[in-house]
Amino acid sequence: MKEVFSLLMERLEETVRKFPPCRAACPAHVNVQAYVCLIQMGKFKEAVEVIRRDLPFPAICGRVCFSPCEDACSRINIDQAVAIRSLKRLVADIEREQGRVRAEPIPKRYSEKIAIIGAGPAGLAAAYELAKLGYPVTVFERMPEPGGMMRYCIPDYRLERFVVRNEIEYIKDLGVEIKTGVEFGKDVTIDSLRRDGYKAIFIAVGAQASAKMNIPGEDLEGVIHAVDFLRALSLGKQIDVGERVAVIGGGNTAIDAARTAKRLGAKEVMILYRRSRQEMPAHPWEVEIAEKDGVKFYFLVSPKRIIGENGRVKAVECIRMRLSEPDESGRRRPIPIPFTEHQYEVDLVIPAIGQVVETWTLPPEIVSKDGLIEVNPLTMETNIPGVFAGGDVVSGPASIIEAVGAGKRAALSIHCYLRGEPLKRENLEEVTWVKNWSSLSKKERRYESPVEKPRLSFEEVRAYLERVQRAARFEALRCLGCGPCAECLMGIDLCVKDKAVVDENRCIGCGLCVEICPYNAITKNENGVAQVSEELCKGCGTCAARCPKEAITMENISNERILAAVMNAIAEVT
Amino acid sequence: MEGNPKIICFTCSWAFPEWEIEAPPNTGVIQVKCIGRLDPIVILESFAKRVDGIIVIGCSPPDCHFIEGNLYAERTINLLKKVITLAGLEPERLHLELVSPIENKSFLNLVERFVERIKSLGPLFKGKEVDEEILFNIQAAKQAVTWSRLRILSGRERKLTEKANAYGEKISQEEIDRLIEEVMGEEYIRSKIYLLTKEKPMSVEEISKRIGVDSPLVLQHIVALRRRGLLAMDRIEGYTPLYRALEVD
Repeated sequence: MKEVFSLLMERLEETVRKFPPCRAACPAHVNVQAYVCLIQMGKFKEAVEVIRRDLPFPAICGRVCFSPCEDACSRINIDQAVAIRSLKRLVADIEREQGRVRAEPIPKRYSEKIAIIGAGPAGLAAAYELAKLGYPVTVFERMPEPGGMMRYCIPDYRLERFVVRNEIEYIKDLGVEIKTGVEFGKDVTIDSLRRDGYKAIFIAVGAQASAKMNIPGEDLEGVIHAVDFLRALSLGKQIDVGERVAVIGGGNTAIDAARTAKRLGAKEVMILYRRSRQEMPAHPWEVEIAEKDGVKFYFLVSPKRIIGENGRVKAVECIRMRLSEPDESGRRRPIPIPFTEHQYEVDLVIPAIGQVVETWTLPPEIVSKDGLIEVNPLTMETNIPGVFAGGDVVSGPASIIEAVGAGKRAALSIHCYLRGEPLKRENLEEVTWVKNWSSLSKKERRYESPVEKPRLSFEEVRAYLERVQRAARFEALRCLGCGPCAECLMGIDLCVKDKAVVDENRCIGCGLCVEICPYNAITKNENGVAQVSEELCKGCGTCAARCPKEAITMENISNERILAAVMNAIAEVT
Repeated sequence: MEGNPKIICFTCSWAFPEWEIEAPPNTGVIQVKCIGRLDPIVILESFAKRVDGIIVIGCSPPDCHFIEGNLYAERTINLLKKVITLAGLEPERLHLELVSPIENKSFLNLVERFVERIKSLGPLFKGKEVDEEILFNIQAAKQAVTWSRLRILSGRERKLTEKANAYGEKISQEEIDRLIEEVMGEEYIRSKIYLLTKEKPMSVEEISKRIGVDSPLVLQHIVALRRRGLLAMDRIEGYTPLYRALEVD
């Protein structure tokens, strides 16, 4: 076992081992190892608390996060990654079983008001962080309900509405004010917010508009873009999908739209994608589920025009494509094959070829020529002082967890800006372990969490939960704990962050600790005295319990402290 | 305490989930990070606090959260069992239970079974005079495991038996057991001598009578202790030298 561990460590050697890979890979740097470790101990409640330190959406991300943490997991080198996302969902769900979680309002330490535009993941995460720091925060949202894409564009069967609502309520409990139905650029502007006394503004409006295909027939009745389609359904509108539906595009939104159409009663749903399966930007497990749902995939076809009849869609005309040899960037471009036009008869066309920022709602001076907001990559400040931006509006369409990461960084930057402290590069840079996590290859997932829970009686639910809790603990026990001490900081009596300390005057250089240490954290220095590597030591104390000269002591849990606990226990039992 | 022995249970944070940990009456449960953290001194000191039995619960190999902490703990407990036997305690009073964290075992059952066993052994501390003898023996045992000789030997035990020493020689388990027993016997007597002479200077004859060891052997140990700088001659009364323990930190 020790050998396996050292082997793993070797692979991680080149990189900074400040964080375990899972935490480093997470854009929001959620302390994965800590909550997995708490699940191992059976402390589910504490596990959620640990998640909430970095992420206000444990239940949402437990359902729909694309989990880069699992891709980075060291366990992949042995068998499969730990099912981190499912564990997160489980602890959040177990917590909710006991009723909605309420938070205490956080006292305001500062007087500077902060305005956040957009109540999506980025805006809410920033609001959450700033509220925790003690700022009065107001979030403006133009839709009737907060949540952004999480609320309106992820279908209900993947992310239940009440889950989103609960987690936003939690943020509100902290004292964040959310004003819905307020449109940026119309009801409020940067100037009006400034006049109302807001000292800093964070723009996180996301990329809400759908990209146009620019082919003839796109404005026919029966053509509805994926985000508009999903949003309309979320708003409670009825859409007749007819019998045959064509979804155009290969991203996650396309899959969502296709599965939703299937659920709405369409007999045949096809996804038309101009490259092949390998190039699909959608996550492979999503594609798999869509196939299980009966969605058909047509690869290497591209729509040329949409044919209408009496102003309504009748068919979509496509052309076959082939892939070019990889170009300099390694991408294989699709090239149309001439004279291969063919038609699919459909009742509804759902283009899902990407989202763009609604640049026309933004002040023109901050918009770049890519149609995004340009910010200082370190401070996330736009070229208007005191106005920050982050999330999809800066990066282009991405994921919830990336938006949360951006929101968190922006919150830190806003805090520094308002306090007049310089934002140090190290604050941000040192936490980035995997520089480009999107390059991580997608590995096999452990399992898909059950989408539907069977209806159960009260007794059955208890048994079910017990079984699930056991299963969760077993899954969590697969974690290798390859990072340093998880620092769950839950203040468990005799299990706290600890470190071996060598008293150099007592050490006789016998080397026993060097042999014993399971992590090879102890080496002898040039004087023959033991020295402990701070990065590697996990504070198990195996060396301290065996040092012949009592030269090694633990920083926090000394023998005396254990003995004091024994005395307490004895006093209690008599 | 009639009928209900006082029990201390050391358990690591991983062997059982939180919801399983439920202590029977008169049992104090102490969760430590890893049972490998348990210093022999701590366990013997706990006995000196007048508990009747100590059960240590950890993860069975290879499930230790700290990779090998349980294996070291196993050796330590085996050593301690021998030491407390020397001190006149029943070895059953100290028990190590390694369970796999993925087994559906009941924590309560495990501890209750141990409590039953201790009940059948009867209380460790019976009466005033006997108690003092036992306490002295435990203190001597504690002193023996505090000194480096036994600690180094038992700390090296795994390496010597499972891998090899610096010369590439592997030592059999029987051999090391014999070695440890020999060292332990010596160290235990030396501890007693050390503790006695700490109270007041004593002659070889007095010590020999007090601990029931032949005087030539006592003298041998005194020489060894003097060599280590733990003992010195205090004064000579008539023709009899009196020895006194030295304070070392």
